[in-house]
Amino acid sequence: MIKPAALNVKKISKHYQDGGRQIDVIRDLSFSVAAGESLSVTGPSGSGKSTLLNLLAGLLELDDGDMSLELKGKIFSYRAANERSRTAFRRQYIGYVYQFFNLVPTLTVLENVRLPARLNQQPELERHAATLLGDFGLSARLHDFPETLSGGEQQRVAVARALLLKPPLLLADEPTGNLDIENSNLVADLLFSSCREQNISLVLATHSTEVATMADTRLHLDTELQQNPPSQDRQSP
Amino acid sequence: MIALALLRFLARTPWSTAMALIGMALGVTSIVSVHLVSASISSRLDGLVPGALAEYSHYLHRDNLNTADYFALRKKWRAGTLPAITQLSPLVDETTTIEGQSVRVLGADLLAGPPSNGTTDLAEQFSWNGAWVDQSLKGQLSIPINGIIDAPKGTLLADIATAHDLLGWPTNQLSYVGLTLGNAFAGTIETAEKLLPGFGAGFPSAKPTLNLAPEWQLVSNAEQYPAREFGKSILFNISALGMLALLVAWLLIYQVAVSWLRRLWPVFDRLHVLGVEWQQLRAYFLFSIGLIAILAAALGLAAGWLLASWLLEMASPEQEINLQMDRWVIFKAVGSAVAVGLLGGTWAFHRSKGKTSRSYLPAILTILLLTAATWCVFQPQTGIAGGFFAIAALSLVASQTIAPLLILLKRGASVIRGSYLLRIGVREALWHPAELSVALAGLSLAIATAIGVALMVDSFRVDFSQMLDHRLKYDLIAQGDKAALGKFVTTKNTTKLADRIQVYRNTDVRVNGLSMELNFTRMDTFESSRYGYNGALDSRDILLSEQAARSLQLSVGDPLTVAGKTIKISGIFSSFGDLKPRLIADDRNPLANALAAELEVDSVAFKSDRPEALTAGLRTQFPLLELRLQSDIRRVALKTFDQTFAITTVLITIALLVAAISVYIAVTTMRLNRQTGRLLLNTLGINRTEQLMMNVALGAGLGLVAIIIALPLGLMFGWILCNVINPRAFGWTIELQLSAEALLQSCSLGMLAAIAAGILQGGDHEEGAFGGR
Repeated sequence: MIKPAALNVKKISKHYQDGGRQIDVIRDLSFSVAAGESLSVTGPSGSGKSTLLNLLAGLLELDDGDMSLELKGKIFSYRAANERSRTAFRRQYIGYVYQFFNLVPTLTVLENVRLPARLNQQPELERHAATLLGDFGLSARLHDFPETLSGGEQQRVAVARALLLKPPLLLADEPTGNLDIENSNLVADLLFSSCREQNISLVLATHSTEVATMADTRLHLDTELQQNPPSQDRQSP
Repeated sequence: MIALALLRFLARTPWSTAMALIGMALGVTSIVSVHLVSASISSRLDGLVPGALAEYSHYLHRDNLNTADYFALRKKWRAGTLPAITQLSPLVDETTTIEGQSVRVLGADLLAGPPSNGTTDLAEQFSWNGAWVDQSLKGQLSIPINGIIDAPKGTLLADIATAHDLLGWPTNQLSYVGLTLGNAFAGTIETAEKLLPGFGAGFPSAKPTLNLAPEWQLVSNAEQYPAREFGKSILFNISALGMLALLVAWLLIYQVAVSWLRRLWPVFDRLHVLGVEWQQLRAYFLFSIGLIAILAAALGLAAGWLLASWLLEMASPEQEINLQMDRWVIFKAVGSAVAVGLLGGTWAFHRSKGKTSRSYLPAILTILLLTAATWCVFQPQTGIAGGFFAIAALSLVASQTIAPLLILLKRGASVIRGSYLLRIGVREALWHPAELSVALAGLSLAIATAIGVALMVDSFRVDFSQMLDHRLKYDLIAQGDKAALGKFVTTKNTTKLADRIQVYRNTDVRVNGLSMELNFTRMDTFESSRYGYNGALDSRDILLSEQAARSLQLSVGDPLTVAGKTIKISGIFSSFGDLKPRLIADDRNPLANALAAELEVDSVAFKSDRPEALTAGLRTQFPLLELRLQSDIRRVALKTFDQTFAITTVLITIALLVAAISVYIAVTTMRLNRQTGRLLLNTLGINRTEQLMMNVALGAGLGLVAIIIALPLGLMFGWILCNVINPRAFGWTIELQLSAEALLQSCSLGMLAAIAAGILQGGDHEEGAFGGR
């Protein structure tokens, strides 16, 4: 059964100005992701993977096209939103995991995970933070500061924080790019399984073929984007 | 190619470049303005001593001094029994009335050479019977005038024989002998005075022992001219405050160099990976910081000049402003900017390469500095310089404790509670000791100075106000024309409007060689209470001002010999603002009879329910009297007091501003180096208001750390100023009042400065050395 799309991306474009020259990073890109499904975005450096994720997070403004996310019966349209409402939307409905610098260095592990609940004034979720960290094998590190954690541990904390609010959309920008194979597999498993269990749509940018193949759908971007429309392959989980 | 890369970097980060330039220029501005203000006041104070006497360091006095005494002394000197003296000369110094003008006649041996210092020749034909006068006497006297000299109003300088003629003295009479005593440190003190005008007053003045008969009394320049000494002591306070401003400015310049390097470091790091040697990169870095330093010095010199003019205009609007932009101030400005920039830059470069090794040197230095500071505080012979050395040493020790304190606070940071944004902001202030400790040291120092000076000024004002309450028990004071005062007293003039009339007579006496003012009046219970003495003063006793007691090293109960009479000291009174040490005795004291010929009526005080009506009556009867109401005296006294310390307040404000800029530069650099952290918070949906909250919390965190250091340091400064420096500089003690207002005001100003530095967001649009997308 084909699930209804939660995230719809329709013919979006984004360009940067470099002096007098316009660089088209994304042009006429369309795809969709259903609730609880995952999409991996692959492509060489400079192909626009991070730009796409930043557009989906509302950190960047679209130049053309539109994107929408279904939120409990409502539809959030990126095109119609200003910077302020995009910020409020991101706070409430988007989880984000970066490759580096994922954690606020001046907050403890527990505080980092609780931060989204605090920002959204959902104290009931704060209690869940410790449980979530326990599930991720970090119950002994709750009150440590990030600088004392290993890269793998930091990334697991980041995933826990992104999942705490059970957002409809979770974005991950090369979340395993900085990890060894063991930690990479651990973090990827956590991400995919948690999103599937909690019906969260996941968009994940990666260079890793292994991680990319774990997604329900793959989107390949390349530097020849302007000439060749991107390919979106559907594959069996 | 490397230079091009750096130039492009500077052009692409104009805000950071401008901030470095402005920051350094502000540091130089504070250095220049403090120097110019101090130099201007110092030059005014030097004007209190006639140029012809400037070369003498000491004076020898004895009763009825004549030329025979002088030549006997000279013979002894030439025989080599007075090796400490390098020059001696007979002098005549007396005030008289010439052609209706009150003139101070100075007679010197001009055969040795006519005056040249600050002299403008007037006469076409030089005359030995002529004189040199100050500007006020030009055209006022009929004697030939050879030239105009730099001297106080009403001064006339002539050859010793001409002076005798003008005074009508016998040809063998002299006033005193001028001496120049050899001082091995004279050159050093002179250079220090040029670099820090007013600082010379802080060196303990040596009182050499000369092998002379006991009739001779050796008096230093300071004792001979107490008014100038008083001014120099105030100037020393300002100058020492300027020294702290200089320290804060140096910290700012160093902070600019550190921040500048941090901005460039990623570029250098990558260029080094490409094979460029560190030495070459350091040369490029030092060249760029040197260039900024030179530009900042030029800007700072101009801004400092303007600021100094404004400060002097505000502090003494009635006086002509004469600022000298001499080579010393230029050297100090350019030297501070370039030397601190380059040395600080070299040190920062060295540290950035991770070449710092664990050393016990800072700990040893800290212990040594603390020991030296304690020794200076409790050893009065170290003078006011010792007091200020203690302040400087404590400042250095405090600035060294910032980084360890931040590390300590960081360890306990998890206990900080409250909003998460607040936690992030406050903890951010503790997280980067290497980047923030220098700027925080500057801010702590500025706040501590503000606290110390505010406590001292507040305590001083309370004591001064209490003294005025005691002293101003009369409603009207009559002073001025001596003849009119004399007439008022001799005619036993009374008025129904006055409930009490108090007559004061005074004269100058020398006690143990020191010039002092001796007052006589009816010392009944009412009058004695004005000096804090209970009951009427016995007719054989005397009261001493705190200055006099300190100069003579006497206390209550000790005997004192004045004009051959031995009397008992019954009390010591505070004497803020007195130019000279003072003694007070009852009219019936045997001393009054002994000195009757020299006593003059100085003033008359009245107690009255209707002072205005009394004033009007006296004005009609004695138009030459100067009549001042008590309320006016109090107002003028407090106004003068506040005006004296106005410059201090402005200097503290400048120091705080400079420190805030320093913190701002450090915070901006920290933010630019951690843009990813900000991006993460942005991704989590932190809005602008919340960002502002975090910045306020960051500023408050920085302010809090600075206050933790500044509060005890400021209290120590206040205590040293009240109990060490003021007694040593002025001869009076101020009771330290822990005024909550002074503490709160200084801490609030420091906190505001830190929050402003945290909130300001200039340059956020700029990217780090390597921008990305």
